[in-house]
Amino acid sequence: MPSKESIQLLQGTLDLIVLRTLATMGPQHAYQIATRLQQISDRLLNLNQGTLYPALVRLEQYGWIKGTWGRTESNREAKYYAITRAGQKALGEETQAWRRMSALVERLLLEEPQP
Amino acid sequence: MKHLRRIFLRFYLLFANSKVEADLAREIGTHLALLEDEYLRRGMTPEEARRAARLAYGGVEQAKQLHRDERAFQELGQILQDTRYTLRQLCRSPGFALTAILMLALGIGGTTAIFSIVEGVLLRPLPFPDPDRLVVLGDVLEGSHCVSCAQSSVTAPDIRNYMRDTQTFSHLGGYRQRLFELSGTGSPAAVNATRMSGEVFAALGVPPLLGRTFTQQEDEEQQQVAVLSYGMWRSRFHGDPNVLGSKILLYRKPYTVIGVMPRDFEFPLNPGHVNQSELWLPLSLQPEEFMAGSAASWNSRMVGRLKPGITAEQAQSDAERVARETMRDSPAYMRSFRIHAVVTPLQEDTVAQARPLVRTLFFAVIVVLLIACANLAGLLLVRAIRRRREIAMRLALGARAATLLRQAIVESMILSIAGGAIGLALAAVALRLGVSLLPQTLPRINEIGLDWPVMLFALGLALLTGLLCGLAPAFAAIRTSVNEALKEGGRTVTSGGGHARLRSALVVAEIAVALTLLTASGLLLRSFEKMRDVKLGFRPDNTLAALYVLPQQQYRTQSAIDEFTKTLLNDLGQLPGVEAVGVTSFLPAAGNSWGISFTIEGYVPPKGAGLNMAAMSLLEGNPFEALGIRVLRGRIFTQSDNAGSQLVAVVNRKMAERYWPGQDPIGKRLRRGLPETSTPWMTVVGEVDDVKLGSPDAETIPQVYQPVTQTVASEGVFASVGELSATNGWIVLRSRMAPEQMEDTLRATVRKIDPQLPLYQLQTMEQAISKSEAPRRFNTVLISSLAIAAVLLSVLGIYGVIAFSVALREQEMAVRMALGCQRFGVILLILSSGASLAAVGCGLGLLGAVAASRLLRSFLFDVSPFDPSVLTLSAVAMLLLALAASALPARRASSMDPMRALRGE
Repeated sequence: MPSKESIQLLQGTLDLIVLRTLATMGPQHAYQIATRLQQISDRLLNLNQGTLYPALVRLEQYGWIKGTWGRTESNREAKYYAITRAGQKALGEETQAWRRMSALVERLLLEEPQP
Repeated sequence: MKHLRRIFLRFYLLFANSKVEADLAREIGTHLALLEDEYLRRGMTPEEARRAARLAYGGVEQAKQLHRDERAFQELGQILQDTRYTLRQLCRSPGFALTAILMLALGIGGTTAIFSIVEGVLLRPLPFPDPDRLVVLGDVLEGSHCVSCAQSSVTAPDIRNYMRDTQTFSHLGGYRQRLFELSGTGSPAAVNATRMSGEVFAALGVPPLLGRTFTQQEDEEQQQVAVLSYGMWRSRFHGDPNVLGSKILLYRKPYTVIGVMPRDFEFPLNPGHVNQSELWLPLSLQPEEFMAGSAASWNSRMVGRLKPGITAEQAQSDAERVARETMRDSPAYMRSFRIHAVVTPLQEDTVAQARPLVRTLFFAVIVVLLIACANLAGLLLVRAIRRRREIAMRLALGARAATLLRQAIVESMILSIAGGAIGLALAAVALRLGVSLLPQTLPRINEIGLDWPVMLFALGLALLTGLLCGLAPAFAAIRTSVNEALKEGGRTVTSGGGHARLRSALVVAEIAVALTLLTASGLLLRSFEKMRDVKLGFRPDNTLAALYVLPQQQYRTQSAIDEFTKTLLNDLGQLPGVEAVGVTSFLPAAGNSWGISFTIEGYVPPKGAGLNMAAMSLLEGNPFEALGIRVLRGRIFTQSDNAGSQLVAVVNRKMAERYWPGQDPIGKRLRRGLPETSTPWMTVVGEVDDVKLGSPDAETIPQVYQPVTQTVASEGVFASVGELSATNGWIVLRSRMAPEQMEDTLRATVRKIDPQLPLYQLQTMEQAISKSEAPRRFNTVLISSLAIAAVLLSVLGIYGVIAFSVALREQEMAVRMALGCQRFGVILLILSSGASLAAVGCGLGLLGAVAASRLLRSFLFDVSPFDPSVLTLSAVAMLLLALAASALPARRASSMDPMRALRGE
């Protein structure tokens, strides 16, 4: 449920989060990714699970992840997404870019306001 | 890289939509099921679990739509969808689709074909590097009033002087085209060759395909070398790469082949295909070409390349200075010639004469295209009106105006692109068949074809027509008032006044432009008819003609030449069935005559009259009788008029009337050249009928005939030392049988006298006339067929509009009839609405015809552009056709059963 503290997702960050999730957790299907997202965000992230889908198709079209049909433990068919080599490389670059960006914002916020 | 891949995939997925959709549905299904499982495990009831799962997932349809937007170009997808929808719609009304597409194919095909001529002839730069620096330099001879002087020319001394003394040209050279007898390779043949200065190759700047071209130095050293055209190399030498260094005989003198030019090299850029130069030789001017008569013959041309930074005007004033020096230094007998130098861009010089024809054709074909467009717009409008209820329903259900607009445009685009594709195919076929029929007055005919610019033009034209035709009905569609259209319910909708006005305006415009074209074609047909009625001045039936040129190498002396001619005339005269035979220097209808100036005894020219020019024909044997030229007064030449006897001449009626009006020309005297030239007098012994030397619609010019044996004596100081006469001529042969049957006999007879001598342009006089009429026939046929197409299309248009308005007014008619209106009254009502449209259209069309008269005037012969009978006849024909087009729907309306129509709501 959206609460007062819930945050909006920044443009482009969803791609990074999905890539990172797949890189650490191995191949996942959409439900797993969504669950994982909720876990790590401590329910701070206000996200309809359906909004994950455009990000998945975009990453797949970039060639960064690849989807294959498989079976879940409960024997349901599901599409498992795995990160590709190009995806690994892109993740590295995107992470760098994110770090630079967040450091910049951090520095700006640390500056004392002029009297 | 990643973007490229994505763009490709987004295109691809537009077409693989259904599979991806199914996958997505499966994936979402699993996702929801897994969520549900989770909530069940947390102890919810199945119902609660399903609800919670849905909530957590968010809107399924929204997610799908986001997915679609992300994976493919949706705007394109919509157009694709519209396309499919339109294709289905069109398949349901194949009659409409076929009519529309064929109409456009006709319009676009015709326009494309004509545009390819415009492009090839007028627009494409000349096939030389930096073509805009190439110019033609020539003289304008004051007072010569020469018709064929639209292209400026020069004399041999001019070539020398201009080349030596001008300073504004980086290269400048003279050239002269003439027929050569080619032997030494295959059978003897006549070839078109161009003698030109070495500088001309340098000026044109086209490298040879094989070997090399000759230089100015070789030209001046009188080297006997030749450069072959690609065509000549392929046909005569079978493309032999070792052709360089081989010998050919030109007029039986040996020349060494030193080069082959590339396939697309053409120079001079002559009109038509037959006169293209097949080989190039050094100009190598001979001493006698600077003397006497030759020095006063403007029979060559000059082409040059301007120095960098020099304008054509600067070059002209530079050349004018040289021209003045030339005049100052010219011999006494040429003193009264006044010449001016003119410098014209080569492109302009090449296309100037073809421009009016090509422009007129283009206008005519654009008119046809416009009519086709108007018709298509009308058809689409009718469809839009028929679909008013459907459109209103869609608007009511929330369709956006932009969507409807897009669909309408997509529909007309599909029609126009299909029409364009078929049109392009039609144009390709027409060009394949048509280029050989093009008139010989068009230059650069070989460059006409469907190339990229033409294809792009056709595509652009298709898109433009699609857009234009689609816009009017599209706006009509979105202006539909939802409320009105739906309220009218099942009742037949009477279309809004605005739509009706638009359709009427389209039809009026169509009729107006079609009538303009129809009058143009009528005027041209009348001109053609007038041309056929022209008195040619000779009898073309049963007459055969052929040209021969005696090679100087073999016929060095006058006696050898005379011997040949005497034997030829004698042998031919003795053939069975031959009535008369002669040799003449100019063949009537062949258009190969040129004028020389005369001095007439006792004639004082009016001020500013210029030179007394006349066409001079040199005769031997009895060509007057062979050609059937009527003798009006006096006598024609006999055997006793020869080199030693008194100089005599025969003049035509035009000559006699101009210089001795109201008098008997017999016994009058005239001589060659200007008053200050000392030439002997010739006495007029006869007067003959005017003969058309060129095409029948050309002006008749004054003519003088002279026995060829007296040429040298009559030339006086013009004659050069050892000048030979009668070295060439046209054999004319009148027989009692069909002339075609005499062809072989004529050939055999000539071969018996000189086995190596080829005969050129062997033809019957009827063929010669037909050739001279060809350009006018071509214009007339083409404009008339365009006019017929225009008239048919506009009649189709008027039929469509009347038929549709009748269909809409069916109930009104039924009510009228039920109330006692006679069937005849109904017919009258409908006919009058058709007639009023046609009348307005014809009025405007006549105004259009008047406006077009300026464009047309140069193509008319003996007919005023306002010829009342043609204007009236065309207007009446158009009106009648319009009435006929409305008669069909009128009959249908009058024969309906009013009760059924009223009940059938």
